[in-house]
Amino acid sequence: MRSHPWLRLSIIFLVAIATFQIAFAPVRIVHWQPEFLAPRLHLNLGLDLQGGSHLVLEAQDSPAGPATPEAVDAALRVIQNRIDQLGVVEPTLERQGSRRIIIELPGIQDPQRAIDLIGKTALLEFVDTGNTPVPEHARWSTDGKTIRLPTPNAQPVPLEKKVILTGADLADAQAGFDQNTGQPIVNFQFKGPGAKTFEQFTASHIGQYLTIVLDNEVISSPVIRTAISGGRGQISGGFHDLTDARTLAVLLRGGALPVPVEVVENRTIGPLLGRDSIERSLRAGWIGGAMVVLFMALYYGFPGVLADVALALYVLLVLGTLVALRATLTLPGIAGIILSVGMAVDANVIIFEKVKEELRAGKTLWAALQSGWNRAFVTIVDSNVTTLLAALVLFVLGSGPIRGFAVTLSIGVLASMYTAITVTRAFVDAAVALGLQRPVTRMAVGEGRAATERT
Amino acid sequence: MGRRRWGYALSLLIILPGIVTLILNGAAGRGALDWGIDFTGGNFFQWQLQQPFEVGDVRQIVDRFATGQSVIQKSGQEVLVRTRPLPAGTKQALLDAMKARFGSVTVLREDEVGPKIGRELRTIALVAVIVGLALQVIYIGIRFKSIRYAVAADVALLHDLLVVTGVFALTRKEVNSSFVAVLLTVVGYSINDTIVIFDRIRENLAQRTREPFDRLVNRSILEALVRSINTALTTILAIAAVYLFGGSTIHDFAFGLMVGIFTGGYSSILNASPILVDWHLWSERRRRPAAATASPVTVLPGGRRDKRG
Repeated sequence: MRSHPWLRLSIIFLVAIATFQIAFAPVRIVHWQPEFLAPRLHLNLGLDLQGGSHLVLEAQDSPAGPATPEAVDAALRVIQNRIDQLGVVEPTLERQGSRRIIIELPGIQDPQRAIDLIGKTALLEFVDTGNTPVPEHARWSTDGKTIRLPTPNAQPVPLEKKVILTGADLADAQAGFDQNTGQPIVNFQFKGPGAKTFEQFTASHIGQYLTIVLDNEVISSPVIRTAISGGRGQISGGFHDLTDARTLAVLLRGGALPVPVEVVENRTIGPLLGRDSIERSLRAGWIGGAMVVLFMALYYGFPGVLADVALALYVLLVLGTLVALRATLTLPGIAGIILSVGMAVDANVIIFEKVKEELRAGKTLWAALQSGWNRAFVTIVDSNVTTLLAALVLFVLGSGPIRGFAVTLSIGVLASMYTAITVTRAFVDAAVALGLQRPVTRMAVGEGRAATERT
Repeated sequence: MGRRRWGYALSLLIILPGIVTLILNGAAGRGALDWGIDFTGGNFFQWQLQQPFEVGDVRQIVDRFATGQSVIQKSGQEVLVRTRPLPAGTKQALLDAMKARFGSVTVLREDEVGPKIGRELRTIALVAVIVGLALQVIYIGIRFKSIRYAVAADVALLHDLLVVTGVFALTRKEVNSSFVAVLLTVVGYSINDTIVIFDRIRENLAQRTREPFDRLVNRSILEALVRSINTALTTILAIAAVYLFGGSTIHDFAFGLMVGIFTGGYSSILNASPILVDWHLWSERRRRPAAATASPVTVLPGGRRDKRG
């Protein structure tokens, strides 16, 4: 038989307190002293709620080599470096499959700049073009044999790309302003061997052009006036503003990607929309919850109110579990919670209806409660497993927000089973033990309509 | 239960417009459904503009950059634009052109899905729905130890999925990844609802009354009816709040769920249970052909009552 109602109530009370502590953490123990904080929901928000970018990059095969998993890993490290420079809080990067990289950038303010920064191969080359100055934005073909000038309908012109040094020879790069012209520039510094090569080359090619090329596109083509010793130099031209120059400096410091990548998926939510979504869904949650609570109270009377209290505990449990699992709350996830509030009522309804039948069959209240609950148990388990199965498929095959929906829906279904089977039952049993038979019984008498229909 | 045919007919009537729309849309060459960029690949933008604007103004600009069918919708001060995949660089040029024309443009949301990812998501969606359906059939088959229950529940389920898909075709709402989530949730919910009724039938069968099967099913439905209505009602109440107050991002998602939960509720009564009865009668008839023709049990006085519930 069941244990004493008061014992069960106290256990439920303790569970509620513990869950509240887990979900909102109002009390913290610091140096053995309790410290009270304003309750706040300690939940990770998904990118769709806090704003941010979800990017999927795919490595491409290039003349330099195929996109092997090792090359992709190396690219991932370079991209990690670049993102660190952006100052994004808690970015995540992971390789998916052999040639994809998934990047999550929460709370990013300027996603377009991030994408430009992340996706650029950033292969810097110093090219010996002899006596030919090359205009800005001219592009070399990938095999480096011909060049296309930046005029409309230009035909490729043969021009060998004789690479002297590359970005890999750089020790440092910083953005700044040109002292004379006030234009944004990038100052760079070669590593030891590179500096030596640079000095020798400039010494023997005075009067010729050293063209600076980034990802096959010409940035500038300065003339060599003197031999440059010390390995210092600067890139000027081609920058709209200081941010542009800074971006290039970041790219040069982080090094080039070993394989070119392409953005194959990009989902960006601006911070404005994220905040808006939170506010709106909170409001929807309150209103939806209130309607459900009202419906239960009006339709089932006193036991309905008890079920409502159980429902409140249910929401607390769902939030607590989400926090404990360090789950991420997404917008569809919130919809999943609200949906499961509606469904959580289901278990209660099934139980109440079965109890009513038992009462009509002439059993005493206590006996009707017991057998009604036992009969309802099988039904509740069976019907909830199907929803769990659907959520499981969504979790395994879905991604991002959809996965968040699957998580909250599953937790919701499990929690609803717990509250309906344990909590509501304890409440109703306790109410009966307290001598509140009348309002509990009324739920059966009140259903005259259904009873007469069955004659 | 005597009015099973009405139930079938009503359900057919409900799915028919959707199916006709699907076919007509397909024939008209604009796609049976309004496939979103998740499945076709492409770009999506949600911008907030400061100035008042018309869809036509935005279209003029978008058409300069994206050839072919772009979908442009206005929602208050927000504009939602869906285009084919744009080449790199074009995106920024489009945004610059928008800013040049409308002054301040706030990017609320921006999605870009490569054609390859689109194909993959399409495959995953299909697999998800098929695996989801299969798992349900297997579970019911095991729990009720009968393929009949599984098939009956599945027919009701297919009906629900057709209704939801049909409604999306009729209203030309975007079909994307969250639509798949809607379908699978509806699958779970519809089965849930069907199971409660089947469970009642199983319980009543266990009492071994001498009641004919169709009357027993009828009684079971009536007994489970209050629960079915109440659950559907509370769930729809909750999700209606999301639909009304949840904002444009989650609007279609909530809408699909509402439709699915509604049809999931009635299809258990109008389709799943009648199929069970018809199957039963059919197998009875095969076993005792003479007896069945002698005493047709299809129309019984008890059958009238299910109209009132």
